[in-house]
Amino acid sequence: MTLATSAWLVLACPLVGMLSIALLGKKLSPRLAGTIGTLAIALAFAFAVVTLIKLQQLPSNARLETTSLWDLANVGGVKIEVGLYIDPLSTFMILIVTGVSTLIHLYSAGYMQTDKGYVRYFAYLNFFVFSMLLLVLAGNLILLIVGWAFVGAASYMLVSYWYRRETATAAGIKAFVINVIGDIGLVLGTLFLFRTMGVLDYGQLFSNIHVAFDKDAPELVAAMLLILVGAFAKSAQIPFHTWLPDAMEGPTPVSSLIHAATMVTAGVYLIGRLHPLFEWAPTAAAVGAIIGAITLLVAGSIGLVMTDLKRVIAYSTMSQIGYMIMGVSAAAYVGGFFHLMSHAFFKALLFMAAGSIISAMGGNQSLNNMKGFRKAMPFTFACFLAGGFALSAFPLFSGFFSKDTLLYEVGARGGWYWALYVAGYVGAAFTVFYTWRMIFRAFWGQPCKEAVVVMETGDAYHPAQHTNPHTGNEDDPSTQEVEDPEVGFPGHEHRYAEKTWQMRYAMIPLAILAVFAGVIQLPFGITNVISDFLHPTFADSTVAYMPEDSGLEAFGLILSSVIAIVSLIAAYWIWVRRPGSSAAIQARLPWIHKLFVNKWYFDELNHAVIIAPMAAVGRFAKNTFERIVIDGAMVGGATGIVRAGSSVVRSGQSGYMRAYASLIVLGLIGVALYFLIESA
Amino acid sequence: MIAAAATSIKAPYIDWAAFSPIVALICGAVIVLLIGLLPGRRVREQIVPGATVLTLLATLGLTIWQWGENTSIISGALAVDRLSLVLNVVFVATGLVTVVMSLRERATVQAGQGEYYTLLLASLAGMAVLVAAQNLVTLFVGIELLSIPLYVLCASELQREKSLEAGLKYLVIGSVGSATLLFGLSFIYGATGSTDFSGIAAALSSKGETIASNPLMLTGLGMAVVGLGFKAAIAPFHQWTPDVYEGAPSPITSFMSVATKAAAFGIFLRFMDVAVIDEALTWQPLLAALAAITIVVGNVGALAQTSVKRILAWSSVAQGGYLLVGIVVSSAAGLEATLYYLVVYVVMNLAAFSVVVARERETTHGDSLSAFAGLGSKRPILAVPMTIAMLSLAGIPATAGFIGKLNLIGASVDGDYAWLGVLIAIGSAISLAYYLRIVAVMWMPDRRGDSPETDRPHGQPEIIGLAIICSAATIFFGIIPSPIYDLVRGAGESIGLL
Amino acid sequence: MSINWYLAVSATVFCIGAAGVMLKRNPLVILLCLELMLNGANLSLIAFSRMWGNGDGQIFAIIVMVVAACEVTVGLGVIVALHRRRLPIDADELRELQG
Repeated sequence: MTLATSAWLVLACPLVGMLSIALLGKKLSPRLAGTIGTLAIALAFAFAVVTLIKLQQLPSNARLETTSLWDLANVGGVKIEVGLYIDPLSTFMILIVTGVSTLIHLYSAGYMQTDKGYVRYFAYLNFFVFSMLLLVLAGNLILLIVGWAFVGAASYMLVSYWYRRETATAAGIKAFVINVIGDIGLVLGTLFLFRTMGVLDYGQLFSNIHVAFDKDAPELVAAMLLILVGAFAKSAQIPFHTWLPDAMEGPTPVSSLIHAATMVTAGVYLIGRLHPLFEWAPTAAAVGAIIGAITLLVAGSIGLVMTDLKRVIAYSTMSQIGYMIMGVSAAAYVGGFFHLMSHAFFKALLFMAAGSIISAMGGNQSLNNMKGFRKAMPFTFACFLAGGFALSAFPLFSGFFSKDTLLYEVGARGGWYWALYVAGYVGAAFTVFYTWRMIFRAFWGQPCKEAVVVMETGDAYHPAQHTNPHTGNEDDPSTQEVEDPEVGFPGHEHRYAEKTWQMRYAMIPLAILAVFAGVIQLPFGITNVISDFLHPTFADSTVAYMPEDSGLEAFGLILSSVIAIVSLIAAYWIWVRRPGSSAAIQARLPWIHKLFVNKWYFDELNHAVIIAPMAAVGRFAKNTFERIVIDGAMVGGATGIVRAGSSVVRSGQSGYMRAYASLIVLGLIGVALYFLIESA
Repeated sequence: MIAAAATSIKAPYIDWAAFSPIVALICGAVIVLLIGLLPGRRVREQIVPGATVLTLLATLGLTIWQWGENTSIISGALAVDRLSLVLNVVFVATGLVTVVMSLRERATVQAGQGEYYTLLLASLAGMAVLVAAQNLVTLFVGIELLSIPLYVLCASELQREKSLEAGLKYLVIGSVGSATLLFGLSFIYGATGSTDFSGIAAALSSKGETIASNPLMLTGLGMAVVGLGFKAAIAPFHQWTPDVYEGAPSPITSFMSVATKAAAFGIFLRFMDVAVIDEALTWQPLLAALAAITIVVGNVGALAQTSVKRILAWSSVAQGGYLLVGIVVSSAAGLEATLYYLVVYVVMNLAAFSVVVARERETTHGDSLSAFAGLGSKRPILAVPMTIAMLSLAGIPATAGFIGKLNLIGASVDGDYAWLGVLIAIGSAISLAYYLRIVAVMWMPDRRGDSPETDRPHGQPEIIGLAIICSAATIFFGIIPSPIYDLVRGAGESIGLL
Repeated sequence: MSINWYLAVSATVFCIGAAGVMLKRNPLVILLCLELMLNGANLSLIAFSRMWGNGDGQIFAIIVMVVAACEVTVGLGVIVALHRRRLPIDADELRELQG
């Protein structure tokens, strides 16, 4: 098997899986659909490993292969192929995507077992993975855009997977619309590049960029900023992040997939992939780095006060992706992608553990109700701890090394990058607090009634009625909307890890990786697996690979350890030893709490700046669906105009044929006037 | 003296082989009309469509036989080249689809089988003449031969008021368009002294400045643009489109929305890129403005409509704006992109209309959006093709429409009209609102419970077959577009564009 | 005589026709006005034909006459069909299709 064949097979496996599940549909038993879906991704992972082996057999300065099946466009000198670009970076990504996705599929097979839409679910899931692999492997910007759009569509389908939940469909539409805005940015940026350079293949883009543009030329910066809009929307960076917390409406394994393996890492990948372009447009790269830094701080602060377990983890993802975006924009490629990898492991694990708790809670996600699960669910607790240690960058866990590599590389750039470096360490303190707040509140203390049920009956707590936790008062199920578990809503039975082997076996490898994955890239050059592996991709970089500065590196490690340990102890004090103290802090600093709880008012900002004025113009919305769809366009800021235009155009359509003839004559006069002016 | 005159008139040499596809259509039309006079209802209902299909197949065969030709025939009146041959294939394919759609149509009975199909063939002959026209006279004859049968076909459902209204509206507004076109053509003739495209082009290039800024020439050009823009439903000359599309019998609407559009754009391409190419710098900004207006008007007009035929009508206006972009740039890339998109547009629009026709006959809701409510769970065999067609019209990746738009955007960027490419992208974003609305109506669970009952669910396998074939082709060409590239490649060179 | 006079007349005829289409409500009169528009164009074609001294314009004009006859025939046919359905013969009443 050649390198190219194995890469194509990586792409083919989920596609075949998706098609066979979708086409066989109801003829498949749910169990079989889950098996096919999981096996397809596992097979893709196997081929990804083959790709890796084949790639490593090449000499290190020639680790790049492009392959194409057929032309996607070939008119007037524009040639776009259905082609792949296989190099260490894309191989690195497909390994993570397929590897983590395999485990998530396995987990889903257990978690979603009683859901009525099980078959549909696996078709979507395979499609999602296929889209992400297409995005990662694409050999030119057009194919990347295709994968990019597919990922958006897949996320829409999965977020609103429980399609009878109004909150879920609304969240899906929000995710889709914000992603479409990102797509438009990406398409326009691509157009800008294409306009000057006339090529879209990565290879040609990278080799021609220095000829086509001056360094930091305004057109190039504009193009790269537009592309960054795409990256921000997909990676949930400020101000395009509002969809991510809402996307928690999807089933928990979907959150895990979106956050760990697919979707949100796409922006990081895009910046890394186009690094020669970003390095040639340092202004755009700086914008990326600054936005990443802002996001990591803002999201971390919001994570401190959220009471919905999944939303805390969602904001933590935003924050961690902020680190990565900051890193790759600041040419900290090794750190950025190292962190991407370790984050994929521990974030997938955290979501899986969270899913297990939420199941045991009977679908309730509020931290206010969770207490004392430590004894009731020891396995889940252990996994959550592993993930929590890694996320909070506790010394010697994977997140510790990856975050430090990233920040060290950023700091080594010197100059104003110091500000980013400091922001990164401030964010690290936030991270520790929100992580341990979550753990202490859910696992410590007197067991809550659900935990008692689990301990006593060995089964999850099942409320008398199924309700939607996102309506009514989130802590009081009796105020929430009642749901019918038969179709279009979550299934009637809840599965948790201790009782479901698929979930357990998916979590064990991730827990091991979350703890130990750091060893492959240790500081001071002890191990260099990732930097050596990625080196061929980033060898052309002019700003990465600063001279070693072991003083700075050591300083970072010590600082990081101190922050992790001190904050952990502080968190223990606040949430375990003195349970009242967090309320006291809240009371002391009410405005900060309010700012954080209201998510820094980003939703309201969007509303005040864009939606409210538009809504005033566009009152005559006809029915709900239209409103929802076009509301999305509001974020882009055009609905009002479009609506007004629509009513103008339709009122012109009076039905009088004499009026139609008059408009033709008017148009004729206009055209004739134009020509007469031209001739004069 | 008559004899003397007869000898002094030298009849032009006619290359019958190259002319044969058009001859076949016209002869077929006459034969079908005669067959329609046969007694016996059964005979009429089976033999007439059969003869029509035979005529179309013969035309297709003759077209393929002439494939690769690049000549002018009948003293330069008609051109047989890649552009006209590709479009001939499109016309014949559309004709075949229309025949299949019309098999159970009320209009065929009310207007008479023979008459209905004869008019269809005559209109197709007009299209074939039009896209081959290289002369102002043939251009006008082609356009009228195309239009007049269509006026009748629109009104052919004699018992339905809307159909009659559509026919009369189309006739009146269409004649205004034709008269404007004719007046413009007469000015162009007056300014250049020639009715041949090549003669006009020669006059423009040889006399240069004096003619290029001649008000007579420019007014004529403006009026011709208006006339052609009318046929192509370019805003602000588009207003007949929604009304006529809604009122006409659905198979005819489908025929008009694809074949007429293809013919109009075919002659638009040839006229602009051959006859008046030397004036390109003058008309390019105007056409760019018209394209922009059309994209905007078409897309916003489609919002908040409740008739699916009307939505598709507005969408066809918007699609016309996209197509116009390829003409604006007046390059081989633009021409091929337009031609490519035309082929793709025909396929995806036919898929949509097959479903509309099928639903119209299955329910009592007509072409209203409510006829599609809950289709996804009840009749997935219709809902899936419709979904594919909508996604493709919106330009979602993995459908043929995406590739088509990609080419157009590429051509616009290549031709220094990048802002039009951006507008195509914006237009597509707006269009999602109404295309996805149809998709949503079909797949969303029906909350109000007013989804129509399916009366005769399995009575029309031929239409379902059409829908499936067209939508499968939409997906196929979205993933493997090279067959269409092979089809359109060389069309630009054949009419002398670089 | 200068060509301009012919053009002026033909343009006037064309404009009268166009104005009629825009102002008249009776479809029969509208058909007449359409004829006027076409004939205005015919006039200019013939004038130009004289000016250039070639026959192209005259041939064109004859063909246009044929086409005009076809158009009127079809138009009358539709009007008759409307009348048979007892619909008002008034362009402004025919506006069920709109929006």
